[in-house]
Amino acid sequence: MKKLALAVSLALSFGVAQAQDKTIKISGFGAKTGPVRSFGVNSEAAMLAAADVINKAGGVKLADGSKAKVVVDFYDDRCTAEEGISVIRRIAGTDALVAVGPTCSNVAEPLFGILQKKVGDASDSGLQFPVFTDVAIKVGLARISEWAFRNVPNEMTMYSSVFYWLHKTRPELKTVYGGVEEDFAHSRATWHVVMKDRAQANDFKVVGESKWLLADTNFATQVREMKKANADIVAISAHPFSMCGALKEMARQGVKPKVLVGLTSSSSLETLQGCAKQAQGIIIPTSFAPVTKEGKFAAQTTAKFKGAADLHSMAAWENMFILKDVMESEKITGKDVQGDRRKIRDGLAKLKQTKGLMGVTKRTDDREADKPYLFVQAKGNEWVVLHDPL
Amino acid sequence: MLDFFQSVSDGVLFGATYALIGIGFTLVFGVMHKLNMAYAAASVGGAYAGLLVLKVMSAAPPVLVFLGAFAAGGVLGWLVYLTCFHFIPLSSPLATLMSTVGMLLLIDEIIVHVTEGMPQNYPAMFDDVMLRAGDFTMRGDLLLVFGVAVLCMVALMLLLYRTRLGLATRAVSQQPVAARLCGIRLEQVNATTFIITGLLGGIAGALIGASVGTLSPLLTTPLTVKGLIVTVIGGLGSVPGAIVAGLLVGGFENVLQLYRGVTERDLYVMLLLFVFLTFRPDGIFAPKGGRD
Repeated sequence: MKKLALAVSLALSFGVAQAQDKTIKISGFGAKTGPVRSFGVNSEAAMLAAADVINKAGGVKLADGSKAKVVVDFYDDRCTAEEGISVIRRIAGTDALVAVGPTCSNVAEPLFGILQKKVGDASDSGLQFPVFTDVAIKVGLARISEWAFRNVPNEMTMYSSVFYWLHKTRPELKTVYGGVEEDFAHSRATWHVVMKDRAQANDFKVVGESKWLLADTNFATQVREMKKANADIVAISAHPFSMCGALKEMARQGVKPKVLVGLTSSSSLETLQGCAKQAQGIIIPTSFAPVTKEGKFAAQTTAKFKGAADLHSMAAWENMFILKDVMESEKITGKDVQGDRRKIRDGLAKLKQTKGLMGVTKRTDDREADKPYLFVQAKGNEWVVLHDPL
Repeated sequence: MLDFFQSVSDGVLFGATYALIGIGFTLVFGVMHKLNMAYAAASVGGAYAGLLVLKVMSAAPPVLVFLGAFAAGGVLGWLVYLTCFHFIPLSSPLATLMSTVGMLLLIDEIIVHVTEGMPQNYPAMFDDVMLRAGDFTMRGDLLLVFGVAVLCMVALMLLLYRTRLGLATRAVSQQPVAARLCGIRLEQVNATTFIITGLLGGIAGALIGASVGTLSPLLTTPLTVKGLIVTVIGGLGSVPGAIVAGLLVGGFENVLQLYRGVTERDLYVMLLLFVFLTFRPDGIFAPKGGRD
């Protein structure tokens, strides 16, 4: 009897040890060096925090009923296309099942280009590896490849909503002037393709635009043009450093539009650290604010891993839980790496909606996300919710 | 027409910062015939270090932050000399070039890691002052930058031409072997040159941070490029050349931006460099050969 009990306990402990040994790898990649390092740092922290929560709840259930822990590693793509492509090839050569990233749209676009365009196309030797983007937000990139998926807000929808709301609530506002960071894919596209178009669609007259570069330090000429235009609304499609430079110059030259609208990515701690005083009142649509219980929990957990919660890093958090659900519903084996990658891809493609930190996120046919959003405004040293359009 | 004069005025005032960066490059080249590619990065690093004054005294006046940047710039300049020039054979031109490029990247990454890539507010003086003459305006803080830059340049010229140290520096730049034979310690002169240019760089970095209002790691590469352009256009080794070239480049790029837009601005600045390299490769003020 004693021998039987000993044998059973040994078998059980071996089984437990086996389950404890099972891991599945999700790789992250983004800018961890260079001027946009904060995005990569925050995404990594959010992924590690989410993995910690998943693992504490037991891990991911595999096809055979056992559970595997999630292991996250994060690669630095330096926000350059060459490095991003090199990184994804390196990840594809490991046992990682899926990658979350990249940070920069100028990396995402060429990177998606090296993935297989159509699944199952034997004549296409592109990489067969699912990429689930958290940050790179330039419009319409996921349609480049059927292996590319994004969980980023739809700026067309958000800015349409912003200008619609402004038109309805502030009927005295008639004109819009743009300030554009021309040498960054996201900011450039957001003004030229999204903001300008949506402003005009909501009966605003676009009276001009001033352009600058990401690392510019002198905005005198541009702000002077802005001052001459004297528009009711100034829409600044720029990241925090150059946006702060422009806002400070606007303060010097006494340019005070009735409303300031900003770029989604600028609704962050960086803006408040760089120019809280000058950014007071700026309105930015965002797909994350810590207003729900889940959102607050995600933000607090990410902070424990030394990351900040914003619309980008919280997308990385959401991606981890979406991937967990997909892995379980598609019954990945944890043994057949390429087979599991295909299952994850197919599982992501099947999704019609996912649960996000702000509510339900719809998935579109071109593998993008239609995320709930709200408008935040810089007040004091924080972003406060101004309006929930949904 | 007013827009043209306004652009020239804004550009020339901002060009004073380019002149300060150019002086640092040109002085090191003049003495050692080597380029210190880490100079602009060290200047920005000095400016960041100046912010430590605010950590100790949160209500410290901006002038103390500038002095902190001044001192930190000198220390960084000496460190750059020690790590990139002192122990590296100066007879190998590529070795020091590559070591300073490496130092540029290192300083850049240190800044990014320490600040987590976040832009840092930089204190300024007279940033709320705007001098107006009708529609023509001049920023008070940029006038201060211009004034401080001019003072630094005058002080440097006095140091080079009125002091024994300056005499030794010029001797080493013109005839290093003869200078050594006269008992001048080359290593000491070289190290002192780096400290002096570092002090200048710290002030330049602080002034640039103050005029922009924010410091960011994004500044190091464009300042390095501008500094090199100014150095070449002004004449390698010529301090007055660097001053004039800095103001010229600042004014030129601002005017071109007004008429051709920001996407073509840098193209025309590079064309200006090309023109000088083709038709006047020694720069505006080619330093005289031979001895004083």
